Amino acid sequence: MSGKILYSYTGIFDTPDEIIHAAEAAVKQGYTKYDVNTPYPLHGMNKVMKLPASKLGYVALIFGLSGTLGALLSLWWVSAIDYPLVIGGKPFFSFPAYIPVIFEVTVLSAAIATVLAMLFFFFKLPNNAHPLHATDYMKKVSNDKYGIVIQAEDPRFDEISVRKFLESVHAKEINAVYWAEDEITHKHKIFEPKFLIFLLVVVIITSGTTYFTLNKLMFMLPFNWMMEQQKQNPQQKSLVFDDGFGMRKPVEGTIARGFLPYEFNGQPDLAGEKLINPIPISKESLQLGQTKYDIYCSPCHGYQGEGNSRLRGQFPNPPSLHSEKVRTWSDGRIFAVLTDGQNIMPSYTTQLSVDERWAVINYVRALQRALNAKESDLK
Amino acid sequence: MSTVDYTREVSVLEGKHALRELDDLIAKPLETKPDKKFYIALAITLSMTGLFVLGLVLTFYYGIGMWGNNVPVAWAFDIVNFVFWVGIGHAGTLISAILFLFRQKWRTGIARFAEGMTVFAVMTAGLFPLIHVGRPWLAGYLFPYPNQHSVWVNFTSPLLWDVFAVSTYLTVSLIFWYVGLIPDLATLRERTNHKIKKVIYSVFSLGWRFSNRHWQHYEMVYLILAGFATPLVLSVHTIVSFDFAVSVIPGWHTTIFPPYFVAGAVFSGFAMVQNVLIIVRKIFNYEHIITVDTLEKMNKIMLVTGSMVGYAYAMEFFISWYSGVEAERFVFLNRALGPYAWAYWIMVICNVVSPQLFWFKKIRRAIPVMFVIAIFVNIGMWFERFVIIVTSLSRDFLPSSWAYYTPTLVDGMILIGSFGFFFTWILLFTKALPVVSMAEVKAVVDGAQPSHKDH
Amino acid sequence: MISSSVEYQKKELPAKVQAIGLSLLIVGLLIVVLGYIVNPERSAYNNIIGLTFLISIAVGSLFFVAIEFLSGAVWSTPFRRVGEFLSSTVWVLPLLFIPLLLNVNTIFHWTHPAPSDKTLIDKAPYLNVSFFVVRVIGFWLIWLLFYYLMIRNSRKQDQTKDQYLTKKNIKLSAIFMPLFALTISFTAIDWLMSIEPHWFSTIFGVYYFSGTILTALAVGAIFIVLLNERGFFVKGIHTDSYYSLGALIFAFTNFWAYIAFSQFLLIWYANLPEETFWFLARWEGNWKFFSVGLIVVHFLVPYVGLLSQPSKMNPKRLIYMSGWILFAHYYDLYWLVMPNFFKEGIPFSWIELGFPLLIAGLIILVFYYQAKRNNLVPIGDPKLKRGIDFRL
Repeated sequence: MSGKILYSYTGIFDTPDEIIHAAEAAVKQGYTKYDVNTPYPLHGMNKVMKLPASKLGYVALIFGLSGTLGALLSLWWVSAIDYPLVIGGKPFFSFPAYIPVIFEVTVLSAAIATVLAMLFFFFKLPNNAHPLHATDYMKKVSNDKYGIVIQAEDPRFDEISVRKFLESVHAKEINAVYWAEDEITHKHKIFEPKFLIFLLVVVIITSGTTYFTLNKLMFMLPFNWMMEQQKQNPQQKSLVFDDGFGMRKPVEGTIARGFLPYEFNGQPDLAGEKLINPIPISKESLQLGQTKYDIYCSPCHGYQGEGNSRLRGQFPNPPSLHSEKVRTWSDGRIFAVLTDGQNIMPSYTTQLSVDERWAVINYVRALQRALNAKESDLK
Repeated sequence: MSTVDYTREVSVLEGKHALRELDDLIAKPLETKPDKKFYIALAITLSMTGLFVLGLVLTFYYGIGMWGNNVPVAWAFDIVNFVFWVGIGHAGTLISAILFLFRQKWRTGIARFAEGMTVFAVMTAGLFPLIHVGRPWLAGYLFPYPNQHSVWVNFTSPLLWDVFAVSTYLTVSLIFWYVGLIPDLATLRERTNHKIKKVIYSVFSLGWRFSNRHWQHYEMVYLILAGFATPLVLSVHTIVSFDFAVSVIPGWHTTIFPPYFVAGAVFSGFAMVQNVLIIVRKIFNYEHIITVDTLEKMNKIMLVTGSMVGYAYAMEFFISWYSGVEAERFVFLNRALGPYAWAYWIMVICNVVSPQLFWFKKIRRAIPVMFVIAIFVNIGMWFERFVIIVTSLSRDFLPSSWAYYTPTLVDGMILIGSFGFFFTWILLFTKALPVVSMAEVKAVVDGAQPSHKDH
Repeated sequence: MISSSVEYQKKELPAKVQAIGLSLLIVGLLIVVLGYIVNPERSAYNNIIGLTFLISIAVGSLFFVAIEFLSGAVWSTPFRRVGEFLSSTVWVLPLLFIPLLLNVNTIFHWTHPAPSDKTLIDKAPYLNVSFFVVRVIGFWLIWLLFYYLMIRNSRKQDQTKDQYLTKKNIKLSAIFMPLFALTISFTAIDWLMSIEPHWFSTIFGVYYFSGTILTALAVGAIFIVLLNERGFFVKGIHTDSYYSLGALIFAFTNFWAYIAFSQFLLIWYANLPEETFWFLARWEGNWKFFSVGLIVVHFLVPYVGLLSQPSKMNPKRLIYMSGWILFAHYYDLYWLVMPNFFKEGIPFSWIELGFPLLIAGLIILVFYYQAKRNNLVPIGDPKLKRGIDFRL
């Protein structure tokens, strides 16, 4: 094997005690670029090799805390700033409810970060191009033997003294390991251009697929079944009714909301007999009556009910409400006029609700009394 | 009966084993072609999986109406199965992580297999929330990504916490399992001469070299992962219990649900692990690695967690009376005496009564008996979730809304099929990866560690 | 391997320990008696806090003795006597509960429910004075019985070194466990939850259990570390043996927080008035600061203090954290009990100091007395050598 570059010398041991002694001796000898390979971790080996404590705990702590903070901030922003919704009567920032998610994110980020850090940064794996691979040494050490490796890079390395050293600690099978051609120029694969391009392609494919799925596929059959529904949509031809209209007129006798059935259409005198004003005369009803009267009645009957309105001068003139006839009409009779209309006066059912009509009637009564007051009213 | 000598530490493995022998034994199923028994077993599980697929296709095409779910029992087999399978997964993490933190060496023979079961159980469980929605193809909506509707998911809902919890659990369990597999994959890489296998093992072992400088970090990370996995396991089933406990339904809204569910999950998980391990150790001749001592310890854990579940039943029952709330008092009477009394009593007999047999050492160490008890426990725990979910929903506050739920054929297909799905993965696992952790088992053999420990 | 290779020299605890215990006891007793004269109701509430605190220590320590037998743990074997001595405080529990039993009617509202309060009257089959007294005394007798049987076996083993005694204790421990679970839960329900008899929570027993475990661990750790550092145990015990103590305290701190959070979250989320009023009472006036303080005191401080691996093995850290946890458990019990007494804010005066001092004195004296009469190390225990050789 001339011309090949030496990587290390290896020694094999049969028992754990032997390898512990060998490691102790290697430290004593002053070797620094050496390693111990065992099929499973041996207790106490870390101390013997004087390895400093692993820093991966700090990685877990830092990434875990970043996960906590990140989750907390995101949840706060989403719930209290971006789109606040009242859910279950709880405040926008309902911290107790966020704890489960924050906890899970903490664990997830800590676990992933620690393992990735361990593999890619601490171990510099994946690395299948190490000189120790595919050697007899590796076969043994992955199975049932324990081994020590003294690298040629070590300042105290010297083939003969290393051989002597390994013999002195009773190593069986002392071998030399050489670099293979392709291993010499081995670089860490993660940052290789080929791998980075591969990652880029994966990103493009993933994002493209996601876009296509969410923006296009979801709107195609069979995923958009709920977009085609058997219900009657507005403006759509009806398959049920002969005239093809989806929109129908209300059934005969339908009463609009806020309105009560009125039985006295065309029978104003009957209404005058039967209907009683349910609204007592009070400040509120008079104020309401005044407001509505001023809006709806005053254009024809005038503000004081005298018929001297702005529409005066037309034929026929709007009558005064202070005539003997109107004054003796019952409240219900006036209500019939408002509801049915009379002569040229239209029905005011669409402008005045039932209560408002009664309030107007109260106001009219007040107006009438004002113009025909008795002396006792002055007290 | 031989008396135990407390001055000696009990060996994890029976008899003296050379490390080479262990490697050969554990790697054997991976190096031999599957035999007839394997193909028969696979055929059975694949047909069950076929039933599963058929049930799912019918459900996707025709909708949830194919199931028996209807108001008031809007959740039934779907969620019972979900909680059941998530619970099964917890035993694996408990064995790997919690027993590791307690330095219980006897976990080494079973940890790998149990972790694998966790991964497969959580995969099975995760299917149920996906399929029980009306439009499963919109499942992506569950994740909080910025979207054109400008809406976010409801972070205050336990159903969403489930999304985070189960995904985290699956991810971390996979990572934990994989990290444990790395040294074994490296061993297999060195053993094999088969070209393709060598490439696969090389890639997945990442080139692991068994260097002690690496072992040092590896052990720290394993400890950290175990330290995270433990509260994670508790949190996952706690969050699953929150699905019910945050509501106001009597029988659901009770503060003891979180630890009760966790104990129940460990209970049912151990029963399933024990059942499968008994079969595995027989088939692969691992009786000296997965010893009767190990099985006995698992049975003890079942006794403890089963008793915790029994405690929770008793406490719920007492406090429901103590509360004085009529609806609460009714729930428990209804469970025992109402239309679902048959399910309730199956649950009590299987969960509370049968594991009490494990007080007796003879029974703890008798394999046929413990196998049957564990099956009862599995049945009982499935029924426990059924009783909790279905009885509380079928009769809650308003008697005019009460109704009796009956499952449909499709419900049954999906239930049976989920077992097929789960066991198919397990079978494939036994032939693709070492079901016992080679490195961990070798580390606890007598004489595996250096004798002087004081340095 | 017979444990005759273990060398144990019984060292007497210094007399000043007795002096400290006695002075704490006398001062505490004085304050308690004065407190009862000046403000009996307030003292009664403090009495409940003191009683449940001491039950945590006495029965919790017995639990740990039992768990060691049941689980076959070896790291704790050299220290087990500490747990045994602490559990002998179960003898003095009547000192604390008899004054309460004589005073039941002033403390508990359920002893005299208003005739319109149907809910309370409905609970009478459980919440009535005679059944209450039966339960208190009955539970005490159960604890006493198991204490007596297990400790007797343990002490006998010092002379006979008979492994069969270990087996007997394992059996006793197994029977004790379910009884422990039920008695500790109903103790909590009786003394702590029924102070507010309209409120209920199924997890309450587990909540008190989590505090009990932590307290027993903490007080045990203080004695173990203090005595071990001064060589009262056996030579050769490594700080690795402390690790499990620290790890358990850390783990159960998390467990307490988990249980407390579950209880809170579920009641907060469902927002049912029949449940929320209890937490709302702990948000009135000053109590809101006290409640937030509970999270800091009982969770954050011990969590951070015992997170790292070295901290779990460090003797000083263990002592400080354990002391802190004792304070935290008292704080927790105070938070459970006192809002019923004083709704507007946190009541604190010299009366509150009585019971902590009294109990501290009791524990120290009982321990001193036991250590005088018995070996501090279970020299006959077959697991002793393994315990001393224990390494992580």
